[in-house]
Amino acid sequence: MYGMVNKSVQELVTINFGVDKWEAIKKKAGVTVETFISNESYPDAMTYGLIGAATEVLGMSADEILFAFGEFWVLNTARKDYGDLLSSAGRNMPEFLDYLPTFHTRVALIFPHLKPPRFETSDRQDDRITMHYFSHRPGLSVFVRGLFSGVAKLYDTPAQITQTKFKDKGADHDEFVVTWGAVDQK
Amino acid sequence: MTDSAPMLDRGQFSKLFPFHFILDVDMRILDMGSVLARICPKVVPGDDINDHFLMFRLGSEPVKSLSRDFILRQQSTLFVFKSTSTDLMLRCQVLILRDPERYLFLGSPWVRNPTELKALHLVLHDFALHDSTVDLLQLVQLTSTSLHDAKQLSEKLEQRVADRTAELVLANSELSRVMRSKDDFLSAMSHELRTPLNAILGLSESLAEGVYGDMNVKQVKSINTIAESGHHLLALINDLLDIAKIGAGKMELELTNTHVEDVCQASLRLVLELAQKKNLKLALSMDNKSVMLTADERRLKQILVNLLSNAIKFTPEGGSVTLATTCDVESESLMFSVRDTGIGIAAEDLSRLFSPFTQLDSKLSRQYAGTGLGLTLVLRLVEMHGGSVTVESEIGKGSCFTIRIPCKGLDTLIPHNPSGTTTLSEITVTQELPSNTPLILVADDNEINLMTVTDYLRANKLRVIQARDGLEAVKMVREHAPSLVLMDIQMPLMDGLDAIAHLRADDKHTAMPIIALTSRAMVGDRERCMAVGANDYLSKPVNMKQLVKTIHTHLPKNETR
Repeated sequence: MYGMVNKSVQELVTINFGVDKWEAIKKKAGVTVETFISNESYPDAMTYGLIGAATEVLGMSADEILFAFGEFWVLNTARKDYGDLLSSAGRNMPEFLDYLPTFHTRVALIFPHLKPPRFETSDRQDDRITMHYFSHRPGLSVFVRGLFSGVAKLYDTPAQITQTKFKDKGADHDEFVVTWGAVDQK
Repeated sequence: MTDSAPMLDRGQFSKLFPFHFILDVDMRILDMGSVLARICPKVVPGDDINDHFLMFRLGSEPVKSLSRDFILRQQSTLFVFKSTSTDLMLRCQVLILRDPERYLFLGSPWVRNPTELKALHLVLHDFALHDSTVDLLQLVQLTSTSLHDAKQLSEKLEQRVADRTAELVLANSELSRVMRSKDDFLSAMSHELRTPLNAILGLSESLAEGVYGDMNVKQVKSINTIAESGHHLLALINDLLDIAKIGAGKMELELTNTHVEDVCQASLRLVLELAQKKNLKLALSMDNKSVMLTADERRLKQILVNLLSNAIKFTPEGGSVTLATTCDVESESLMFSVRDTGIGIAAEDLSRLFSPFTQLDSKLSRQYAGTGLGLTLVLRLVEMHGGSVTVESEIGKGSCFTIRIPCKGLDTLIPHNPSGTTTLSEITVTQELPSNTPLILVADDNEINLMTVTDYLRANKLRVIQARDGLEAVKMVREHAPSLVLMDIQMPLMDGLDAIAHLRADDKHTAMPIIALTSRAMVGDRERCMAVGANDYLSKPVNMKQLVKTIHTHLPKNETR
């Protein structure tokens, strides 16, 4: 998993719950890394361990944490660390979502060892788009829903995100339908 | 080939090359890509390209006028244009089209980091998917973020190192303070313990000598045990005090040019009695008897006596202990080896050998009394001399402790007695001092006292002869006519008082200074000694410096140093 993901979990916890909670989570998860390097690769088990420990330390469900984490990633971590690139990825939310598959393809080409997820789009209409999420990492669909929600907030666009296919229920990938109101897409 | 070449409409072409433009032979713009048109709204078809763009050539001034000739001449190179109205820079490849002749420039904005996109009102969508400019930007952005992370990590680590260093400095300082306190405590306690011990030893000696009346055999045996235990305790305290002094950095070596053979012989004499009791063969082997060493003579002797005592202690009756010295010219060092035929040390125990209070086997502790500090002290004293200690040992066969002390000038020595070994019977009092050096007769029946005083006087450049009872003292005086006599009072065959009286009765010895030494320290002792002819009186235990000072007070002026 990208270091940027773990780094984001750290920031989410420390900003909202304090450094002590983060240290408690790290201790519980057996993680000793002091600072995560964004484009370094870390074991997936470390990220899952941190999220698992966070549910116990913070007394929140895994879904609550993953969703909050997804939103936080876009609105805080990505905006802070990749702000210029993020704001260039689209002038509005639909454009951003259109560009997401290309963005991840480019990342995969630049950093193949990071094994980023793959996105596809379909059913692009003026007020909706269907996002397909392919990943070998299980259990992150709620996190992706949080990401889409964060993107909607980033562009100040009220949107509804509905998961329509579930990999953990037998589908070959996760699918989300994102709908929004009228957006000036010029 | 022509048939398979794709025919693209204007929209498709613009999607593939959103930043392209086409010029005619007069350099007028015929068409341009959709994104270029959007970000440069002032540029419209029909305008002269030179009105809107300057052309950059590496290493030269901008070419203000792009011309047909220039394009034809440079068509195989990369063209770089700078917009005159925006910050846009375009990097282009030119393609010459025929019928009619036109020039197609296929390009892409030259941006080096994502912040420039915003200034140019560009988004990633504006770039053709095949354009690797976006990959470059993503790479730059991700790398930059990672570098920022790494810098943060580096700063944290630096801070942690600084914090830890500060903690260590503090802990070290505290440790030093505690160590100093410990050493001060040990030092103070050792002094406090020594004071009453002197009384125990002195009174034991007096009791044993019958000062307070006769004692039966059992009482004598008991008082001897008390004295032995007292001496053992004194040795322990002295070792402890020395170790504490070294630890506190308060021990300073008195380095002098030391005659190695003298030190070896003196050391062997000090352990002679121990070796005799166990019927051990004691030997000295020196590859060069003239070698001199810069060392603290007293401490060097202490080192050797410790090693020799240990060797004797752990060597069964009938065995042998050899002290050998070897000059190692190559490493400019002198080696002292103490080899025994004793019980030996197991390899796994060697590492613990020099730890304080360590006797390797608790059974040994009971069988062989010892302070457990001797080897620690040896190691520290040797280290203070800049030397090292090594051990070789084999269970049941014996041990060999070797100390190596730096010694300059060995290469200038004349080889001497290369394999000579002196056995116990040959270890005699050697006198290499000039014959005009004052000669002192030390009369004492206590072997340890005799050796101790003898060594100290020799170290102070005095020649010494010895007597072990009053009769022998009188005989030695008649034979050697010493410069001064140190006379113990309690001695067998003839006591010191009678011996002094005999000597004073002889006209030849009326002027010879006699200093009486006694452990009695009773009221009237002094007067009794002086009455029979002693010139001075000192009570035991004698302060050696005081003794030498007193000797020099009484020596004839022409015989003092």
